[in-house]
Amino acid sequence: MRKVLLLTVLVFACKKSEPAKAAFLVGATLPLTGAEARIGGFYKEGYELAVEQANAKGGLDVGGKKLPVTLTLLDDTSAQATAVSLADRMINSDKVDALLGTYSSHLVEAQSAIAEENKVPYVNGGGGATDIYRRKYKYLFGLMAPVELLGEALMGWIEEQQVSGKLPKPSKIALVWENTAHGKDFRKGIVEFIKGKGFEIVVDESFELNAKDFSALLNKVKAANADLFLADAHLPDYITMHRQYVTSGLCHKVVSYGARGSEKGAADALGAKNVEYVLSAVWWNRQLGTKGLTKDFVDAFQAKYKRAPEWYQALAYETARALFTAVQQAGSTDREKVREKLAALSVDSILPEGKLSFPEALGQQAHYAFVVQQNQPDGTSPIVWPKTVANSAGVAPNPACAR
Amino acid sequence: MRLLDLLASAVLLAGLYATMAYGLGIIYGVLRIVNLAHGGVIMAGAYLGWALHRWLGIDPLLTLPFVAAFGFGFGWALYRVVVRHLPRGAAGGVQSLLLLFGVWLVMRNAAYLLFSGDDQAIRTDWSTRALRLGEISLPYSRMVVFAIAMLTLGGLHLLLNRTFIGKAIRAVAQNPDSCTRVGIDVERIYAITFGLGSALAALAGILGATIFSFSPSFGTTELLKSFVVVVMGGLGSVWGTAAAAFVLACAEVFAILEIPSYLTGAVGFVLLVLVLVVRPGGLFGRKVLG
Repeated sequence: MRKVLLLTVLVFACKKSEPAKAAFLVGATLPLTGAEARIGGFYKEGYELAVEQANAKGGLDVGGKKLPVTLTLLDDTSAQATAVSLADRMINSDKVDALLGTYSSHLVEAQSAIAEENKVPYVNGGGGATDIYRRKYKYLFGLMAPVELLGEALMGWIEEQQVSGKLPKPSKIALVWENTAHGKDFRKGIVEFIKGKGFEIVVDESFELNAKDFSALLNKVKAANADLFLADAHLPDYITMHRQYVTSGLCHKVVSYGARGSEKGAADALGAKNVEYVLSAVWWNRQLGTKGLTKDFVDAFQAKYKRAPEWYQALAYETARALFTAVQQAGSTDREKVREKLAALSVDSILPEGKLSFPEALGQQAHYAFVVQQNQPDGTSPIVWPKTVANSAGVAPNPACAR
Repeated sequence: MRLLDLLASAVLLAGLYATMAYGLGIIYGVLRIVNLAHGGVIMAGAYLGWALHRWLGIDPLLTLPFVAAFGFGFGWALYRVVVRHLPRGAAGGVQSLLLLFGVWLVMRNAAYLLFSGDDQAIRTDWSTRALRLGEISLPYSRMVVFAIAMLTLGGLHLLLNRTFIGKAIRAVAQNPDSCTRVGIDVERIYAITFGLGSALAALAGILGATIFSFSPSFGTTELLKSFVVVVMGGLGSVWGTAAAAFVLACAEVFAILEIPSYLTGAVGFVLLVLVLVVRPGGLFGRKVLG
């Protein structure tokens, strides 16, 4: 018995006392150069605003003690291999407590595997492909609602126009989507929605990302004589395809390029007249910011950057805020405790439905309705769907076709 | 599906492919170097035209001579400073590939630094307008590209056959050693050819920018397509390049009748493999340059 006591005393005496934590260490990589550099820069703004706000209050309240946040933000150059190696370095060399995700599904998919291997909470707002979450990782949390819901939201507004007699029944759809996980999810959302409803798909074609010539594809669309043109494209493809769409003399009762449509760059490249009445669905819209948390975010962003935020910055900001909230709820920076709190998180949010959680059944990917907006001739893009947040009814059929 | 519509699309697309490929073809024909910086020069041409249009309000068509002159100057300097130090012929093959690939990477990253990764586009009054002939619509931007492709073809033909410089280029392409003996300054001809090829690449860049959006990675797909066109046409053959551009464009456009749209981009590479197996010298055997 004396031996056991002695051993216990020795063990306690020898055990190095855990140094008091001076800061909550967060690591992140973003595509600050390379193909996704523009959007990477937007995400950086969101992360930095969230960290600045947390530190302005003296840091996070962790078990009654204020802990400042230290963000290590590195450039993954839009490359998978770099994103993976930097994440590995931050986990194993820099010993970060948690990771904030990068932007773009393929980068998130690769990087989150490293976090999972090392049991580090990985919260991201840049990976929307459902395939990422089907892996059922325990440490991965996503704030981007699935792209399937994007197609569903667009169809929600379109169906309402059909019900009110503004669109024909059945309506013929030309469905054109990029051959990526994003495009496939978009297609799935539309196809699932229209089952048993007054819609018929007459063109169902995918195209190569960053394709240069869509003339043959658009010829097919022309020949099909569809009522609705629903495409899913990234910004460069949207600009190239819509330019060819316009010069081909095409016009449909509803035109959409998925999440693209309201960008200023696109209006500059295509001409404001040519993007009128284009419908788009996004994860967030600053017009939601009329009260509460959302207004606070919009005001803070405008004060810091002297311009209005887009959905990219909003998702990044909310991603960091979700992680900080979980740390405060856990009362600890312990990775496992933070993970548990993230898994059980249910908080008020700036996201469209005002709540954020990471449902386990959906692979810990947040689910909320997309915000549908439509470009108007005056240059604005009011929210037209869902009805709970809409500030305009929207216009259908496309008046441009009558001109 | 309107076949006439597809044919019109193919002809206009061929114009673009030909413009992109001439520069690569002429440099290979004379120097036996695959200019991997070709994509970078295409991108630089696009940005130069965009900058002149955006900041000085100059119509992209009016900037063509300036952009071509820039391309020529860049190519000439690239040859004089870097390329001429490479071993000639097959011995310099790998080095030239690595070196020019490096130049391309430097150019691309410089563009990221200067212009960021934002997608840009040149919009003019005519860039979203089209000529309607019944059911067929012919976009002005593509007709301009096609017209310039034809003019370039004619211009290159005249240059190579009717001028002293052109004849010297052809002679150097055939036998540089003999040219040295008869007093032709081979190094100067090489520099001029490299400049000429780069000028054509820069022209292709600005013309492409009037049709597509672009970013610093612009030029990658264009380089690959150019490569397919040049090899299919017969390395070093200007007329072959034009004809191969038409074959490639037709194959890609009409392929949509049989295969999904996302696979049409691969048609060119399948054609390339077939041509290399069946006719390794290219579809059109006669070579103008060598």
